[in-house]
Amino acid sequence: MSADPRPTDSDTTIIAQTSTRVVVPIILLVAIALLLQGHNLPGGGFIAGVLTVTGFALIYIIYGLRYVEQGLLHRTVVPRSLPAGDDESQAGPPISKEFGEIFTTGLALAAGSGLVAMAFDLPFLSQGVLFVEGLPLYGHVEFASALAFDLGVYLVVVGGLLTILAVVGAE
Amino acid sequence: MSEHVVVAPLVVALVTAILTLGVRRYPRTQRTISLLGIGAYAVAVITLASRVVPLGVLTGGGGTTETLTYQLSNWPAPFGISLVADALSVFMLVLAVLVVVPALVFSVLYIEEFGQRISYHALFHFMLAGVSGSFLTGDIFNLFVWFEVMLMPSYVLVVFYGRAKHTRAALQYTVLNLLGSAVMLVAIGGIYATMGTLNMADLARRLAHAGEYGINPAPVLGLGAILFAVFALKAGIVPFQFWVPAAYRAAPAPIAAVMAGVTKKVGIYAIIRLLFTVFGAATLESELGFGMAGTSFLGLFGPVLFLMAIGSIFLGGLGAVSRNDLDNVLAYSSIGQVGFIVLALALAATGEGTVRTVGLIAALIYSLNHAIAKSLLFLVSGTVYEAVGSIRFDALGGLSTKRPVIAGSFFLGGIALVGIPPLTGFFGKLLVFDTAGKAIVAGEPFAEVALAVALAGAILTIAYFSRAWNRAFWGTPSEPVTRSYQPTTMVVLVGAFALLVVVLGIGFDPVYRAADAAAHAATEWETYVEAVGPEVIE
Amino acid sequence: MSGTVLRTVPSTIASTSAGGEASGQPQVILAVVLGLLFALGTFLVLRKDVVRVVWGVTIISQAANVYLVTMGGLRGSVPILSHGGAHGAVTDPLVQALVLTAIVIGFGTTAFALVLTYRVYEEHGTIDLSEVNER
Repeated sequence: MSADPRPTDSDTTIIAQTSTRVVVPIILLVAIALLLQGHNLPGGGFIAGVLTVTGFALIYIIYGLRYVEQGLLHRTVVPRSLPAGDDESQAGPPISKEFGEIFTTGLALAAGSGLVAMAFDLPFLSQGVLFVEGLPLYGHVEFASALAFDLGVYLVVVGGLLTILAVVGAE
Repeated sequence: MSEHVVVAPLVVALVTAILTLGVRRYPRTQRTISLLGIGAYAVAVITLASRVVPLGVLTGGGGTTETLTYQLSNWPAPFGISLVADALSVFMLVLAVLVVVPALVFSVLYIEEFGQRISYHALFHFMLAGVSGSFLTGDIFNLFVWFEVMLMPSYVLVVFYGRAKHTRAALQYTVLNLLGSAVMLVAIGGIYATMGTLNMADLARRLAHAGEYGINPAPVLGLGAILFAVFALKAGIVPFQFWVPAAYRAAPAPIAAVMAGVTKKVGIYAIIRLLFTVFGAATLESELGFGMAGTSFLGLFGPVLFLMAIGSIFLGGLGAVSRNDLDNVLAYSSIGQVGFIVLALALAATGEGTVRTVGLIAALIYSLNHAIAKSLLFLVSGTVYEAVGSIRFDALGGLSTKRPVIAGSFFLGGIALVGIPPLTGFFGKLLVFDTAGKAIVAGEPFAEVALAVALAGAILTIAYFSRAWNRAFWGTPSEPVTRSYQPTTMVVLVGAFALLVVVLGIGFDPVYRAADAAAHAATEWETYVEAVGPEVIE
Repeated sequence: MSGTVLRTVPSTIASTSAGGEASGQPQVILAVVLGLLFALGTFLVLRKDVVRVVWGVTIISQAANVYLVTMGGLRGSVPILSHGGAHGAVTDPLVQALVLTAIVIGFGTTAFALVLTYRVYEEHGTIDLSEVNER
């Protein structure tokens, strides 16, 4: 499958490309907002992760898979028909390796946030919250330890879904 | 104060899974971590087991079993998720350890290096985490979650080799279990709507005092039957057995060993927990009609279990007699063997007092025996495949002269299933017959039929096992067998595992006492409720 | 994985449990919707086309989720506690937490089922179940 029928920059219209440029940052911003408020308001790691992936999926659809690797990360993309390098532990484009790492980091973070509680002799997954008053600009801020768990879930969802997108999309 | 020892097996399995995922680019480190992880898991389980069932109980020197509880994330029961380690949970966890440790070591030798690197170890440990969670949880919805944690890796492991027959089997397995999960969710929703709680201890208490809580138990019987059907699907009991042969054949040998040995027993465990602990004291307000006598939930489930047991024993036995390769025989055999476990459960459900306890002990010992013997046989089948390159009977023959250790291990596993003393299988079968005998004395309906079915099943077991033995291991060595080589480490491992079967049979007293404690833990729901201590709301 | 449940605020369960008792208008509509969803799901599961089967299973799992929400009872306002706001009766939040968890799980399994379907197509060259089973 070395000769991809589609050009690197796929043949979508300029309207679609421009609106993607506008929309994707907004999607990502909303996702981050949902992630941060998730510990006591609607939102959370899962939905933020799904929203982030929607943003990436949009880039993939409009600009093509290779754009992310070549245009954004300045990598040379090895055609898939070549034998995979020894470092390559799974099928799919090279970027799926990074996605796999995001997935693992997320899992470790979520499980780790549960384990921390055990160090304080609280049950696994216990959560706490810290209120900080009088910060400049923000005033009242709460730091919930659930955020670490949420961040872990977020990374798991982003990593997992992007891996699937990249692997299936590349076939 | 919190008893971290309860959650330890779960955390160890999860952490190992994540670590193996993290170091997957360093295969040797990954294998080391995986093996160390399984060792730590065994240590965690044994520590927990020794806290719950002290050594004195096992040796008959006195001491009492305990029920340890753990409130995840510090929410009190019934609001938070309770983990409960009683003698029954611990019995099942030890059973799991006895199977997964040899299976993982075998995998390291058996699965090709590239396959191990992708995700095999992580999936294996995630599956183990799901299994441990299912055994430990005290909350029905959480049970659903752990089922899913256990099933998702198993979907991937069934399709591990990724060729045509594997994808086909995995598709069937996945779709069926997805439907099962949806149905389980429906039952859970219904139970929550009628009972107002999902904590098992709270459910047991409310069902026992249905009048005081203003609950009508009749819908719970139906919803419980739906849950039961889902558990039966996981355990592969007739009429939910059809996914079993294809999935076991498609999965790599060590995974087939774990699926037959452990994940099936998760279904059995869930049935025991649901029927005997949660529904232990539940009764209907009036008789059901439709020719169903009595008002106790257990009594109503008894005949259903009985029919499913008969179906499983005959379908599994007759199926196994007519198959032409090792894995197929083993897969059908495991349907039949689970039938024996369910038969003991059926007698326990309809019986009272001693019959119930002995029936449960029989079911638990039979589960343990089947778990060890069947996973041994699957590992032997994997070794045969490695050595000869085929497990079809027409390519095998004469293995006993060429490869005596492999043949000896198969023979030991086989006679453990058949039930020859002094192996555990003998005691398992003996206890099933004993339960049937006691039930006849107690004047239970169908008890004579149960005895006859158990006898017929035992004869079928002898038939298919001796046929497999004759075709694969006796006679003149066939062409592929003569060309076979000796995978030494694998053979040593399988041989050691086979010795374990013998050791457990000879040192049977502690095993019996552990099962006895587990059976009491299952039926004494008051102790369970008291240990969890859910707050009374309303 | 079970994190979503763990963060439930349980304070309102006592007041709103046993949601089956008051069945208002939304429950009736939801019952009809549920019936239709299950029927559609069952219909699709019985087709010969693997993709349709996977869709059917997905629809059935979603229907189970809707059922779970319905079973919690639909009275009162949204069960969100913000800072210092006064609150009347709220809908039982437990079922919603359960459904969130179930959705996450369903999401993962659906993704796997679709990838599996693709593999089946690659291996067998068809997505017709009767042809898949012949080979």
